Amino acid sequence: MSHILEGKTAFVTGGTGGIGSAICARFAREGAQVIAADLAPPAELPERVEFIAYDVTDENICRNTFHELAARWDKLDILVNAAGIEIEKTIEDTTLEEWNRIFAINVTGMFLTSKYALPLVRKSTAASIINFGSYDGYIADPGLAAYCASKGAVHALTRAMACDHGPEGIRVNAICPGYVDTPMLQSFFGKSGDIESLKQAVRDVHPTRTYGTPEDIANLVNWLASDEARYASGQLWVLDGGLSAQVQQMNL
Amino acid sequence: MNRLQHKTALVTGGRQGIGRAIVDRFVAEGARVMTCGRGPRPDDLAADILWQTADVSAKADVEQLTDSVVAEFGELAILVNNAGVQIEKTIVETTDQDWELLMGVNAKGVFMLCRDLIPVMAAGGSIINIGSISASTADPGLALYNASKAFVQGLTRSIAVDHGPAIRCNAISPGWIMTDMADAAFAVANDPAAAKQDALARHPAGRLGKPDDIASLAAWLASDEAGFATGQCYTLDGGMTAASPLKPGLF
Repeated sequence: MSHILEGKTAFVTGGTGGIGSAICARFAREGAQVIAADLAPPAELPERVEFIAYDVTDENICRNTFHELAARWDKLDILVNAAGIEIEKTIEDTTLEEWNRIFAINVTGMFLTSKYALPLVRKSTAASIINFGSYDGYIADPGLAAYCASKGAVHALTRAMACDHGPEGIRVNAICPGYVDTPMLQSFFGKSGDIESLKQAVRDVHPTRTYGTPEDIANLVNWLASDEARYASGQLWVLDGGLSAQVQQMNL
Repeated sequence: MNRLQHKTALVTGGRQGIGRAIVDRFVAEGARVMTCGRGPRPDDLAADILWQTADVSAKADVEQLTDSVVAEFGELAILVNNAGVQIEKTIVETTDQDWELLMGVNAKGVFMLCRDLIPVMAAGGSIINIGSISASTADPGLALYNASKAFVQGLTRSIAVDHGPAIRCNAISPGWIMTDMADAAFAVANDPAAAKQDALARHPAGRLGKPDDIASLAAWLASDEAGFATGQCYTLDGGMTAASPLKPGLF
């Protein structure tokens, strides 16, 4: 590996999830000191990755975590807001509790983490914040109403943060994955019948003839986190194997 | 770094500016690079970089460029359509000759290069077209230029959809990059110095772009790291288009 993150520090929410763990592993291989923040510890952690129990919906935990981190680290170079959930329902079937819960994690959690991380992020000379949006923030998948809406909010928040904190030397971008092979995607397939044939059908609708892996997403997160991307800010980076470059495909 | 080791690349418009930065970066990443331009080989081009004098809007030149690629490389891994011209006019002022020149290079040239080179590209190949933020938000007085860049975005998606999975195709949409082209745009302002200050204030990054910024993204898109990236037009503009063009603080 090229070690393009040597000397940098990184904090990844949802750091033990499908995509989050791939990001932490990649950051560590690139030379960064990494904290994987999540609800429960993973079975194993890569070298240079430290687990911290963290809940993005709890303001006290967010405030205290960064207060304590400021005593250990003199700066935070990379913040990745990857914590997120999806609820597979239309708005009619979604309860207010479910709606509030998905927004608390996907949107409010991003707000709270970024808010309390900012003083430490500001001390970096090359700071990069990477939020997790989704291609679902642009075009809808059926039965994911609250999730789609939450990702639209993430996209707008990303642009606002880039606009407000760019002059302080902080870059803010969002990555908008398409279909990525994670437990979340398996759950989305789960209710639709024959998973194997469905997987092939999903692959075939992509110009790349495959859906993404967590490593594919980590490749772009790594670039955006690095100084290579020093002019990249305020953008929503769709990474979907070409899925959304085409119009709806008819089954002819 | 050596992310492009064993890869071959053709970069159009490599004499100066963004094209030259991409050429130099690809070489630094280990690629074998051919570039071209309308004039003779630039004196300051490193000896191991292949140069061909070519006008990408001329069919015969594109055919010769393709022959050279096959002769030198066998097959091509990376094509960067960077050559472009800009004419500072509204459509009312634009002549038919202007159309031939601008659309010839920015649109027909990209079309012909993709048509002729896709058949000689290796599986896993990457096409990178240089678009512009002007494709989706108009710069005043650049009517045909804006429209030509919208063409590039549309073609980028079509190539990704038609020629995947063998070939990936993406566009980079630079914002204001400090090149001779940007200076020409500032020069037509009533007060060029004030216009430049105003432009700076509109960038969350606090500066205008550099050709090397674009080369950074081109290198990533050309590499196997970007294996899931296709059909996209990625904007690299220091945050300018993320914010509204109406800034009360600038009144």
